[in-house]
Amino acid sequence: MSVAVVDYGLGNLRSVAGAITKLGFEAVVSDDASELERASKLILPGVGAFGDGMRLLHERKLTTVLNRLVIELQRPILGVCLGAELMARDSEEFGFHQGLGWIDASVKKIDGGGLRVPHVGWNAVHQTATHPMFADVPQDSLFYFVHSYHIVCDRPGTEIGVAEYGGPRTAAFARGNIWGTQFHPEKSQRHGLTLLGNFLRA
Amino acid sequence: MVRNRLVTVLTLNDGVLFRTKQFVPDYRYTSNFVDLWSIDEIVVLDVTRPGHGDRAHFYDAVSRLAENCFVPLAVGGGVRSLADARRLLSVGADKVVVNTGAIERPELITDIATAYGAQCVVVSIDAHARGDGTYDVRSEFGATSTGQSPDAWAKRAETLGAGEIFITSIDKDGSLEGYDNDLNHLVSRAVSVPVLVCGGAGNWQHFVDGFRIGGASAVCTTNIYHFTETSIRSAKRFLDAAGLPVRL
Repeated sequence: MSVAVVDYGLGNLRSVAGAITKLGFEAVVSDDASELERASKLILPGVGAFGDGMRLLHERKLTTVLNRLVIELQRPILGVCLGAELMARDSEEFGFHQGLGWIDASVKKIDGGGLRVPHVGWNAVHQTATHPMFADVPQDSLFYFVHSYHIVCDRPGTEIGVAEYGGPRTAAFARGNIWGTQFHPEKSQRHGLTLLGNFLRA
Repeated sequence: MVRNRLVTVLTLNDGVLFRTKQFVPDYRYTSNFVDLWSIDEIVVLDVTRPGHGDRAHFYDAVSRLAENCFVPLAVGGGVRSLADARRLLSVGADKVVVNTGAIERPELITDIATAYGAQCVVVSIDAHARGDGTYDVRSEFGATSTGQSPDAWAKRAETLGAGEIFITSIDKDGSLEGYDNDLNHLVSRAVSVPVLVCGGAGNWQHFVDGFRIGGASAVCTTNIYHFTETSIRSAKRFLDAAGLPVRL
């Protein structure tokens, strides 16, 4: 089974691919439609700004490819940080931008209420639902976050994990074949690798 | 709640791990003892002086480290352009550390933040105590005075797009006497982004003081004896017992 890490010119592609390899799977980093099509699982990584992310996806004609693979063919996909944010409907980061619209959610600036922004470091993820993503991951395990904007789900149901930072923040969501994490599993040591393995084996 | 971070700083001279004292490569380590599992984050800095060594050795060393590193990796030293930043990200860095390059051309911070997000840019500030309670930001490995105060420069860097500030006391570097928490407090109070403090940690109480007095979000150490699995665990238990939540 091969896993495609979607290369849209942003993101910590190497870290994600390295973690996949460490878990014993074959990772392909690519923006090529046929290569993405051949992969049985997709990961949409990312660090960077929302507007740039969408612009680069469009420029590389990846929105069409991803919509076909993820929505029509129901191919499993995991979004990480910016990659997860791009799955939302829209974002207010540096202006208004439309996202992929797979999840009923918006991306908003973190209101830290006196806490430092960006939210950087290890924070506990409270699992609000039982989900295969969290198999063998203890409740309230620590994961690594680094972000200034965050995913706000329209309604409960898609959200499966929250982290406390000036209020409960969506840390993980899932809707069918579409999974997303605001934190970086590839940089979250043992629990992060377990969670990535759960996606790869699901 | 986000945990207090314990960060290891590795200084590489021509691709080889060295400890520094007042910024001069002081002691070479022959093997890599860094425990990549218990530490919360790693900062790697190229301290090779211009004209000495081959930059390719640094990229190779970072690349090798990144392969087995499943915590965030911030890398810097000699970053002058967006292309330099891109190169570091391509060898496995998650964040880029800028220092002299940003002093010479502050827009560098904005260039990297625009391309990769603010969280990708760590602005490193080396400060020298003037001895009258004020500080001078130094560039080029502490050699050149800029006349700027670290709090003002940190604030400006934040405005330009810095996601984190990494403050180092040149005077305390390698001393094991404890952090300069007057300096750390000055900077952490000036900005609303996380602040990493470095220079002088010699025991676990120094870490506590860095958080409590210095206002740090992360405490850093370059001391090799702080790298091993037992020492990191021991430091974290000490912090936890002092009421500072950490990732145990």
